[in-house]
Amino acid sequence: MRKIIIGCVAAVVLASGIGALYAFVSNPWTEKDKPILFVPKTVDGRIDFWQVLGQGVHMAAKEFGEQVQTVGTVAESDISGQIALLEKAIEERPKAIVMAASDYNQLVPVARKIRSAGIPLITVDSGLNGGISASFIATDNYKAGKQAGQSMAQGLDESARIAIVSFVKGSTPAMERERGVRDQLKESGMESVLEETYYSDASESKAYEIVKQLLRDKPDLDGIVCLNEPTTVGAAKAVKELLAGERPKMVGFDSSTDEIAFLEEDIIQAIVVQKPFNMGYLAVRVAVDVTKGREVETLIDTGSEVITKMNMYTKENQKLLFPFEGQ
Amino acid sequence: MRSWQPFRFKSIHTSIAIAFSCLILAMTALLTYNSYRLSEEAVTDNAETYTEQLIDQVNANVQTYLDNMVSISSLVMSNSELEKAAALRDLHSPEAFVLEEGIGKFFRSVVRSREDIATILFAGANGNVLSDREQPEYKPVDDLTRQDWYRNAVEAQGKVVISSSHVQYLYLREYRWVVSISRQLGEPGKPGSGVLMVDLNLNVINNLCKQIELGNRGYVFILDPAGDLIYHPQQQLLYSRLKSEAIPTLLATKDSSIPIQENGDRKIYTIRTNEFGWKVIGVTYPDELVGNKREIRTTSVLAGILFLIVALSISIFLSFRLTKPIKRLESLMKKVEKGDFNTRVEVESTDEIGKLSRSFNLMIGKIKDLMGQIVEEQEMKRISELKAMQAQIHPHFLYNTLDSIIWMAEMGKMEEVVKMTSALAKLFRSSISKGDGLVPIEVELEHIRNYLTIQNIRYKNKFTYVIDVDPSLYDCKTLKIVLQPLVENAIYHGLKQQAVIGHLSITGRRENGTIVLQVIDDGVGMSEEQVHALTDRLRQSEGGKGVGLQNVNHRIGLYFGDCYGLEIRSEPEEGTSVTLRIPEIR
Repeated sequence: MRKIIIGCVAAVVLASGIGALYAFVSNPWTEKDKPILFVPKTVDGRIDFWQVLGQGVHMAAKEFGEQVQTVGTVAESDISGQIALLEKAIEERPKAIVMAASDYNQLVPVARKIRSAGIPLITVDSGLNGGISASFIATDNYKAGKQAGQSMAQGLDESARIAIVSFVKGSTPAMERERGVRDQLKESGMESVLEETYYSDASESKAYEIVKQLLRDKPDLDGIVCLNEPTTVGAAKAVKELLAGERPKMVGFDSSTDEIAFLEEDIIQAIVVQKPFNMGYLAVRVAVDVTKGREVETLIDTGSEVITKMNMYTKENQKLLFPFEGQ
Repeated sequence: MRSWQPFRFKSIHTSIAIAFSCLILAMTALLTYNSYRLSEEAVTDNAETYTEQLIDQVNANVQTYLDNMVSISSLVMSNSELEKAAALRDLHSPEAFVLEEGIGKFFRSVVRSREDIATILFAGANGNVLSDREQPEYKPVDDLTRQDWYRNAVEAQGKVVISSSHVQYLYLREYRWVVSISRQLGEPGKPGSGVLMVDLNLNVINNLCKQIELGNRGYVFILDPAGDLIYHPQQQLLYSRLKSEAIPTLLATKDSSIPIQENGDRKIYTIRTNEFGWKVIGVTYPDELVGNKREIRTTSVLAGILFLIVALSISIFLSFRLTKPIKRLESLMKKVEKGDFNTRVEVESTDEIGKLSRSFNLMIGKIKDLMGQIVEEQEMKRISELKAMQAQIHPHFLYNTLDSIIWMAEMGKMEEVVKMTSALAKLFRSSISKGDGLVPIEVELEHIRNYLTIQNIRYKNKFTYVIDVDPSLYDCKTLKIVLQPLVENAIYHGLKQQAVIGHLSITGRRENGTIVLQVIDDGVGMSEEQVHALTDRLRQSEGGKGVGLQNVNHRIGLYFGDCYGLEIRSEPEEGTSVTLRIPEIR
């Protein structure tokens, strides 16, 4: 009799132990409520690209039932600031980190630390040397460059003189885009592409100055390809100001209200736009997949679109160019 | 045998415990599942109702906004000056300026009164464009009449036309998302005609839809009748084909809730259509209720497990309680098996087990009594046997017989000496051989013949005898030496006493399955009292004198049962008959 009672008690204790263990393991507020950390290059609210990318991030987070915490530096160039933020983040052990590396090389050590801490790392828009992240979600800049090159070559003679204004020397997207542009122009048979590449350092005013100078030096220029948004706007301003009648053909990158205005004014003939919303969305989706232990692609191209005055008001492109309803 | 009877267990205890457990397990599983299913259903139903109510509300609100726009457009169109402006020939005349100024003010006052209106624009067929802006900077798209809102309004011939959501394409550096409501004024081609457009800020609709919470993942979107998205939170994903909605299906569906399976994701679309053909569609993920469901499941499973454990413990306890007395009974039975008949169960309960215990006790008692009886009877049989032997070799009989032989030998009656000696020898041989058990009647008769031979020689002038037994009885079994004491009594107490020559007859016959042997003499007989006394003594247990008859009766009773035995009948001076009844045994 005593044995039986002891047996019963033991069974109850064992069962409640298992129950408690189960409850502990499946505890929804230990692991689950940890946020995914999103580190954009900048948290400056005026930069549409990152705003839209953030929207994509939040949309995905909502869809997959995840929390997202956004931290970042105000200035894109604040590399040490970003490193410090990431160092701090490792201690808080987020569920995953989705980051846009502000530097291709300098962020590598901290990224290694993140990985060795066992936190899934996804890079978005700007990757890291050596592909440390589980997945890299970005525009295929080479492809985008080729698109830009194609738009430029369209309707121009093979002898047309074309200049390329890049943004930051040594930055991967800049190099990739330039390579794409040059390869495509060559393929299209363009002979007179300027060997020299101009760098605006991603500054609108510097681009303006450079292009102003360029137009003075080479008044017979037939086309200018600008490789990012401030460069494009600066260059377009210079072109609009300096030249009245015959203007060189312009192809730019990314979208902004200014660029769209220039596009509508026919100063710029085409812009190649990325899809930041999709980028943000996919980054989180992939991050979720990684946390769930699923296989993910190491490189995802979110694609880019060529926008001209003709197609800018199609319903797809409208949404791409004017992502915010509130404006 | 055991291999194909897997549900046979060694003990009732196990059987009961397992039966209970199975029953409990099944019941628990059933109950748990059922309660889970019911709560799940309830949750799903609630969610569905809730979603439907929400979507109804959104639909009603969107409808209200559009209605407002339509009524504003009606209001504006009722302004007679508009027609005048559209009919102007010279757009730069002072008259025109005044007219435009007035209309502009009117437009402005309407727009300012409402936040949801982005702009009001009127495009006259004469090229006059009027808007609510004070100094409008139009886009270099000179031909407004080629735009959708204009063309569609003309086509609709005065009916209200509602566009899909789009970026406003009118003013420089203005990229507002709007929904345009346009309407033809007058008759196309005639002077005074034109199209009025009122733009509704899409923001209003966006905010409305964004506010709606359909679980964590659910959302609301709006389709126009052409299948274009007025609002969708993931519009870009749809355009990039990262996601998709089953738009054709949805367009073809009337107001209802339909489930759609997509990439392993189950969604429920709740559709409401407003008067303008817009479909307000709420998307909910039934799996999302899984959050709730999982909780319900966990709770039910935990409750189930708890219940199971308690029930199992009770079942084990109960089965133990039930089988405990049976087990005790079993162990006592084992003792009995080993021969301990002093075992007794202490009866504690009044239930079946108690009754069983009581019966057990009674049974063991009875067995014990019977065993004692058997032992006693065996003992008595042995003693009786011994006494029979003693009776047979009665020393006086031997001395007397031997004396007779001597006397006959002296007399030179050699023939008789031989006859008597041989009979004596046979008598002894038959009695010594196999002291125990049953013999055929024939053997017993042989024995009695030898005996009678001796006695007849000794009491030559006293009696004659005849043995008349049905030969078919010869094979039947009887006890040894049952007739000799009867004959002995008849000779000594009946025939020897009288002066005349008596007669002794021994008969044997079958009567209703019973063998009846009778020893009848015509000697002195007995009075009724004597017969009574003798009969009484026969019934008494052994002892004392008169060994012969008593011993016979006793042995018969022991061997064949009390219904068999001796019966004495006698009449004084007439003779005595002693009847022996035994069963017919072969």
